[in-house]
Amino acid sequence: MDHKLEKILARVQKPGRYVGGEYNAVQKDKADVDCRFAFCFPDTYEIGMSNLGLRILYGVMNEMDGVWCERVFAPWSDMEAEMRREGLPLYALESGDPIKDFDLIGFSLGYELAYTNVLNLLDLAGLPIRSADRPDLSPLIVAGGTCTYNPEPLAPFVDVISLGEGEDALPELIQLYRKAKAEGWSKDRMLWETAKLPGFYVPSLYRVSYQEDGTVAAITPEEGVPAVVTKRLVKEMDKSYYPVKTIVPSTEVTHDRVMLELFRGCIRGCRFCQAGFVYRPVRNRSHELLAQQGVEACKDSGYQEMTLMSLSSSDYPDLLPLCDGLLEWCQPNKVNLSLPSLRADNFSMNLMEKLQAGGRKSGLTFAPEAGSQRLRDAINKNVTEEDLLNSCRTAFAGGWSSVKLYFMLGLPTETDEDVLGIADLATKVYHVWRNNTPNRSRGVRITVSTSCFVPKSHTPFQWEAQNTQEEYLRKVTLLRENLRNKSITYNWHDPETSFLEACISRGDRRLADVVETAWKNGAKFDSWSEHFKLQTWLDAFEAHGLDPSFYANRERSKEETLPWKVISDGVKESYLWKEREAAYAGVITPDCREKCSACGANKLCEGGVCHG
Amino acid sequence: MADQRILFSKSGTARYISHLDLMHTMERAFLRAGITIRHTAGFHPHPYVSIPLPLPLGFSSQCEVMEFGLEAGSTVEALPEQMNKVLPEGIRVLTCYEGGQAFKKLTYVRYDITLEFDGPLAEAAETALRALLSRESFVVQKRSKKARSGFTEVDIIPLVNAVEEVRAEGDTLRLTLLLSAQNPGLNPDVLIQGFRGEHPELPMVYTACHRREILDDKKNVYR
Repeated sequence: MDHKLEKILARVQKPGRYVGGEYNAVQKDKADVDCRFAFCFPDTYEIGMSNLGLRILYGVMNEMDGVWCERVFAPWSDMEAEMRREGLPLYALESGDPIKDFDLIGFSLGYELAYTNVLNLLDLAGLPIRSADRPDLSPLIVAGGTCTYNPEPLAPFVDVISLGEGEDALPELIQLYRKAKAEGWSKDRMLWETAKLPGFYVPSLYRVSYQEDGTVAAITPEEGVPAVVTKRLVKEMDKSYYPVKTIVPSTEVTHDRVMLELFRGCIRGCRFCQAGFVYRPVRNRSHELLAQQGVEACKDSGYQEMTLMSLSSSDYPDLLPLCDGLLEWCQPNKVNLSLPSLRADNFSMNLMEKLQAGGRKSGLTFAPEAGSQRLRDAINKNVTEEDLLNSCRTAFAGGWSSVKLYFMLGLPTETDEDVLGIADLATKVYHVWRNNTPNRSRGVRITVSTSCFVPKSHTPFQWEAQNTQEEYLRKVTLLRENLRNKSITYNWHDPETSFLEACISRGDRRLADVVETAWKNGAKFDSWSEHFKLQTWLDAFEAHGLDPSFYANRERSKEETLPWKVISDGVKESYLWKEREAAYAGVITPDCREKCSACGANKLCEGGVCHG
Repeated sequence: MADQRILFSKSGTARYISHLDLMHTMERAFLRAGITIRHTAGFHPHPYVSIPLPLPLGFSSQCEVMEFGLEAGSTVEALPEQMNKVLPEGIRVLTCYEGGQAFKKLTYVRYDITLEFDGPLAEAAETALRALLSRESFVVQKRSKKARSGFTEVDIIPLVNAVEEVRAEGDTLRLTLLLSAQNPGLNPDVLIQGFRGEHPELPMVYTACHRREILDDKKNVYR
């Protein structure tokens, strides 16, 4: 190990996260490698190693001959200070080599509040943060992940954006890069050729102009560059890569277990949910394959915990046979199976009982999202009060005594009556407990949590204004005053981060200057409350003559050119508008399995048919 | 059936695995190797693994001992190879054996200690250290979770059993010390901190501690 690094590690917290060497971390002989990829996760090791996407793409790239993908995470502030003081550039965990000498550097962007970390990581690597200041072919900076559906605030920093799922797309980019390297292409040529690959957006090949009122006038591609870039996706989940052999961290990370991905996409179409639209259409993995992969992954890793992941696990058609198949192996081998994101219905409750048989009864979590049926219909969250109360009845009768309920405040069309509906619902849950619990003296813990709704691109609510922080806090107070029950705890998420998230998630390219200034003035790890300072951001907006409420709190017109116009997830904008109108009319849209509502995503499948 | 033990080394990147994380790492490695080990009795059984003398974070060692109960899937002969295939970088099982001495018999630890100074100060440091260790008593403050103040005082002198080797080369001082292992034991970091406090004119830029051997009360190798 590098002696400079050894010296530093003696002075920082949790040094284990900066050294690699875990079981299944991939080592390669540099003599056999012609393309080195640094996979950067712009948050801590503990968060990054909990991400399934990272594990998938790490495996996909390392299966390629001659390609070595290594991991990079954001060093915590104590480590960063030491690295800067000692002049130790950002290195990759597997080799310890500085990433500025790598061929490609990829960033996984899952949330907007990590953007300052992206700039910080580039800077720690010793690289200019702006694409225009990096004239050489390597390292080529590519970014992917959910945030890239509106990549504009990062447009001047990254070279290439990979849209959608990366399993097939990234290897194509790597092959193109290898050709470029072998033939001695300029970076410019590489960018032009990349723009011809499906699913790759090269921001520097588009010019953005603005109206006097600050809205986008036009986004003009260079000649020969596509006017719309459509996301990539895995067509058959059963044939796509799953990391059976995966890294087992030697130190504790946030989600430290086998993660099985049941399916991608979601049949529901909740109108606030970006993931529900951008991952369309639904693609299932077969339950036989999942059970096999789950068992193999447990055996290989030694994990004693397995979790089933998806956007809405109750909608997996073969959930029962899958759980039976897994339990057959898990129970005798003392492996705990957990199933988050279940819907509040009876079927799911029976399943919970089965999974928890004999074990400890942890809390139940439901996300009704809105307090009244009217508003739940408006957002197309097809959960009824009856479903929820029935589920609670079963749970309380079965001995559960802790329920968490998640809601959003500031949803479109929301009135004070809807806010009070939350208090009403929580109180009804309390009465259900009183009438059904076998043991009243043990008491019950009902936790109500609210967060401030953030409108996102590519959803029916992409035109909506976010509630101002004042309005959100007024609603919080209203709710708090009406939740006077000792058994009900109310937690509300602070609106400052939601406000910033709303600014960035629908921001245009001009926000890049704001992100850069905020970073220069010390913003980093913005999703961590001990680091986040809204004032740094407000100052940065002001420094560039931009108004944050223009981005967060302004309703857009149907005619407005949205900054993410170039980016398509396959769902038609006209469909989103229709859905928005349905929200205002309080009309629900049936799920994809019940009836196709012709969103357009079917065109991404073979033969134009979804197989949900 | 008597329990089994392994002797293992911990070096390189594995130095940064804490004691608690090491226990989890070992439990998982047993599962990966297909080796069944004994579980504790009680309402929430968990795999029984026990380490008599936890190694402080950052230290390396070639003589760590861990006790467990081998139930199925291996033999003491086959176990080292099976485990070494599935352990993370830097942890190597050297041998596996039946039984072993009682934990309380572990009395001394032989440490190799490397002190790197900010300049060619090793010889001066050697003189200073020898002087310090020849005192009647040398009381230093030690961080403590139990004491209300957060600190307790410990006299180092009776806990340093022997200075076996001292080599000064330019900016590096290498020591081999025989220290008391437990009840009470001396963590060489406490000695280093005490030395730092006494001699601010001899600034250190790096220190490394390595366990070379563990000994019983008769100063025979402990296993």
